[in-house]
Amino acid sequence: MALTLFPRQQHGILLSPDPELAALFRSLWDLSEVEWLVIERGRRAMEIIFNEPPDILVVDNRLTDIRSTEVATIVKSENVYRQLPVILCLDSDDFEQPWNWNEIEADDFLVRPFLPTQARERVHLTLCRASRAMDANPLTKLPGNTSIISRIQDLIDRQDDFALAYCDLDYFKSFNDKYGFSRGDEVLMMTARVIVNTIRGFTGVRSFVGHVGGDDYVFIVPADIAEEACKRVVEAFDGIVPHFYDEVDRERESIVSTDRQGEVRTFPLMALSIAVVFNTGGRLKHYGEASAIAMGLKKKAKENVKSCYVLDRRSP
Amino acid sequence: MEEDLKTSAKGKILSIRDLPTLPRVLDEVSRLVQNPNTTIEAIAKVISRDQVLSAKVLKMVNSPVYGFPGRISSIQHSLVLLGFNVIRGVIISTSVFDIMAKAMEGLWEHSIGCALATGLIARKAGLKDPEEYSVCGLLHDLGKVVAAVQLPDLHKAVGETVRSQDLRWLEAEKAVLGFGHDRINSWLAEHWHLPPNIKEAMGSHHFPERAQLYPLHAAAVHVGDFVVRVFEYGSGGDDQAVPLNPQALKTLNISLSDLDSVLDGFAEDLSEVSGVNFMPEDGPASSGAAAG
Repeated sequence: MALTLFPRQQHGILLSPDPELAALFRSLWDLSEVEWLVIERGRRAMEIIFNEPPDILVVDNRLTDIRSTEVATIVKSENVYRQLPVILCLDSDDFEQPWNWNEIEADDFLVRPFLPTQARERVHLTLCRASRAMDANPLTKLPGNTSIISRIQDLIDRQDDFALAYCDLDYFKSFNDKYGFSRGDEVLMMTARVIVNTIRGFTGVRSFVGHVGGDDYVFIVPADIAEEACKRVVEAFDGIVPHFYDEVDRERESIVSTDRQGEVRTFPLMALSIAVVFNTGGRLKHYGEASAIAMGLKKKAKENVKSCYVLDRRSP
Repeated sequence: MEEDLKTSAKGKILSIRDLPTLPRVLDEVSRLVQNPNTTIEAIAKVISRDQVLSAKVLKMVNSPVYGFPGRISSIQHSLVLLGFNVIRGVIISTSVFDIMAKAMEGLWEHSIGCALATGLIARKAGLKDPEEYSVCGLLHDLGKVVAAVQLPDLHKAVGETVRSQDLRWLEAEKAVLGFGHDRINSWLAEHWHLPPNIKEAMGSHHFPERAQLYPLHAAAVHVGDFVVRVFEYGSGGDDQAVPLNPQALKTLNISLSDLDSVLDGFAEDLSEVSGVNFMPEDGPASSGAAAG
């Protein structure tokens, strides 16, 4: 093919028990363009997908051991994998019932009998679309500022009751100064996973986690579980963060680094501060109010060198 | 010639994609993850009894995909960071040993025994994060499991050499392969980005004096291995006692009488783990016979 769509060889995984489909996919691309790993059973493939995420995942609905939609859901519900594009391969019978594409976060589908050239172009389109920028934090892939603001404003407009928590790290800067940016990024990735998984651990509630940028994160949960959520996030973070320091600093529970004035100082281990604003009875009118209240509370939370949370108890 | 065997064996070892486990713990975890209200603590407790499942979650959480390779050495922390979905994915994609299951049982008992003993030693020595020492003990013979799966013929030859020449497993490995499971452990730990403390304990548990960065971890597992063999609980593949390196006790700063109290503690706690039957309930009765 004369046209070069991709800067490097693309890796695809095809989950299908259908040898014809496998042969078709392998015949459509030169190995230097797209290399396909074909796996006949879906369950076995999950570990491979998680360990070596491909550039594209194609899942045949004819898999016998797991539903193709379940594979898509497992992949798409994790922030580290959600940018991985997923194409479903369906039979026309599969369309008798309408599909809930809000729940099944696939990127596209192909229908039998497959038209080879069309299949090829669908795969190309899907790969290119996935590489376009989205409103996600480039490091953690969590929803970024635009999504966060629109989510909060949407909840305010609907006069829903909710708790909005702003989290940030104390002494992150001194950690970064001493250990360098890539070690700092490790901590930001870890913090994202801790918040996401802790919040998602509350089953059956509507929740949201976003990454404003740097060491600032946001989560939204129902008001009645806000305090418990803060407790659990803080506990998990405090247990894990010492392991991101070198042995000596972990033992000493502090680091020696240069502060913003250029003076050598001792800093405690990083801690998580959380400020929580409640929207009850439609007290908030605008996103800006929420963040203004939160910034005030944050000062209070920061007075404590240990991880802590402050809840805005003012009644509406 | 020997180098060629080593290179090809290493390639085979590192290419492992499907590491099976024994059915009992897997069944128990599978039941737990079906209930979305199961706590991470409950899942961690069960996974900590299975060397293969523990290795899988540590490998995954320390993979560069998550962005902090080599940082996490606790099962509980791994599960918090991976989250319920990923744990479920790992569990449903794990298969079980079929023909080798019986032969592997002794090695599973030996490993959980070593985890228990190593944890007790770490506590006795007053070390921080004793749970992490238990993980080191649990994984100390993982190389034997991977060798059994990836190099089945050579693994069989090692077992035959153990029996015919009355050698320790490690000596037989060196005779047949030219390297031991301690070396395989190091390859795996390196390839999987496991934290350096686990890596060193896995690679140096037979010769703790060679540990460069984490002598305490290597020494604790070394003594743990000794303790579990004193009790003849499970099997590391041979029925020989391992020589106890007295330097290991010095490194840990524990005395022989401390070791005595560890042995007593192990005897008490053993009843807790010896109830762990790795085969299905209706399967053949447990035996401490040599692992294959």
